[in-house]
Amino acid sequence: MLNKLFLISFYTFKEIFKSKVLLITLFIGIALMVITYVATEFTYGTPEKVALDFGLGMLSFSSLGISLFLGATLLPNEINSRTVYTVISRPVPRWVFILGKVLGLSAILFINVFILSVMTLACSSLLGGEINAMTILAIVFNCLESILLLLVVVFLSLFLNTTLSTVVSLFILILGHAIKETQTTTFVKERVYLNTLLEFYHMVLPGFYKLNLKDFVIYKQTLDGTYLLSSFAYGTCYSLFLLFMIIFIFNKKNLD
Amino acid sequence: MKVDGTYKKKGGNENQEISVAKLRLNHNDFIMLKFKEITKTFKTDLTAQAFKALDQVSFEIPEGSMVGFLGANGAGKTTSIKIIMDFIRADTGSMEFSPKLGSTRSEIFKKIGFLPERPYFYPNLTGREFLYFLGGLSELRKSEIEQNMTKWAPRFKIDHALNRPLKTYSKGMLQRIGFLSTILHDPEFVILDEPISGLDPIGRKELKDVIVEIHRAGKTVFFSSHIVSDIEEICDRVIFLQNGKLVYDGGVQALLDSHEKKDYLVKIMGHDFTPATKHHSLVKLAGNTTTFLIHRNEKDELLKEILEKKADLIGLELIKPTLEEIFYHIRSN
Repeated sequence: MLNKLFLISFYTFKEIFKSKVLLITLFIGIALMVITYVATEFTYGTPEKVALDFGLGMLSFSSLGISLFLGATLLPNEINSRTVYTVISRPVPRWVFILGKVLGLSAILFINVFILSVMTLACSSLLGGEINAMTILAIVFNCLESILLLLVVVFLSLFLNTTLSTVVSLFILILGHAIKETQTTTFVKERVYLNTLLEFYHMVLPGFYKLNLKDFVIYKQTLDGTYLLSSFAYGTCYSLFLLFMIIFIFNKKNLD
Repeated sequence: MKVDGTYKKKGGNENQEISVAKLRLNHNDFIMLKFKEITKTFKTDLTAQAFKALDQVSFEIPEGSMVGFLGANGAGKTTSIKIIMDFIRADTGSMEFSPKLGSTRSEIFKKIGFLPERPYFYPNLTGREFLYFLGGLSELRKSEIEQNMTKWAPRFKIDHALNRPLKTYSKGMLQRIGFLSTILHDPEFVILDEPISGLDPIGRKELKDVIVEIHRAGKTVFFSSHIVSDIEEICDRVIFLQNGKLVYDGGVQALLDSHEKKDYLVKIMGHDFTPATKHHSLVKLAGNTTTFLIHRNEKDELLKEILEKKADLIGLELIKPTLEEIFYHIRSN
């Protein structure tokens, strides 16, 4: 079964890779180098911080973009073009198919993150910045955030069409980042019902802000190990739960 | 799940099951697939009334047979095939596969070759990568895939294009590589959904020849089509669906025989001969020939008369309706 899982992941990766989606990564990498060069001319004293800020931002933007747009079409394209039939008409359980597709797309995400991380860290180092554990952790958490978003959009694509699943996932991503700050505003604090609603949202839908360490890296703030560990566990458990739900629903789904 | 030595697959509905049982049709025919009282309804949205795509449909596919699955568009052919392949679940009814295929889903599907209708495949993979992918999923070794590819690719005239991405393939080439992937693992039971539609006459002939070849090699072939002449040409059995209901399930020849009109067309040179028989009618006068329609019982009498009058007989043909005519007749009734 592992062999079939590998085959589906490998050929999913190959199919997406050949679609030249990673050209986006290349363009962003070139833009990163150009902006870093420009930054050295116009920033006073902190060009390495600008390079790191821009690099991590682009890293997050590109990997979330890949998750959102490729994740939304991952299953609907298979069903619409009937390619799913050619695969699951073989001795392949449905869970192997769906897991293989998700792993194949995750491999594309990892490559995107790897290339942009290396370029970001190289640019920052060349300008005198230092690479510390927090920077590496920020990149790892970014990977986790992208995978969580990928699973959210794949989950929604089981019920909604491609456009709706993209829009709703984007909405969940924005809310997932803004919810913590929103809860601290006086406007929300003064309204009990709104606070309760946000608390409920917080319990059910993913809190993406927990996986965003970029500001801590840029402004050299410290975070205690417990926060990091709990955030990592939160992201991992939420992703595993979504993966389980996707497999469960896909096993029951009528593929017509 | 295993239940009393029978593999049962329960889907969205508790009444559906895929089980393996040794069944006998007639004489020594084993059944490859038994489709029992399957009903399937679809609902386009919550407020819409449910549409019955299949209504208590039952049929059997004998082992080693070549069965054509006929019906107009929307008759329920693809829905039936999707249920057989476990892509969708029936509301009620059950299915049984031959024990020859195996006792688990994995074993059964390893011996089934399926080609969907109008396949698109992965556009950026090359033909060779695509075949390696599907061959691997069918548990073939690399050497076996290579060997079967070498055997079949020239037959399908796609050997020159195996290293090209599938997005550069024409519709006919996609259909051919799809068919190659279907038989790559040498399946016992081949299920084809409209395999010949969209092909040019030469492509259709070549594909039909391969279908006949794999059938002669002992494989069971079940293929849907709305082109009646293709089914009549190569199938020994036919299943006909109309509006989700089974209209006919049986031998092609038996159906043709049952609708034989038992009349003869007699063609005579010249316009002077008039038969003395009671039940005849003039069909046409064309050029220097006369054509009569005559009842079977009066054939011998007419031939005798032709000999006696020394008329020049140039043709005698039993009128046989085509399968297409029979199905038009069934549909119109």
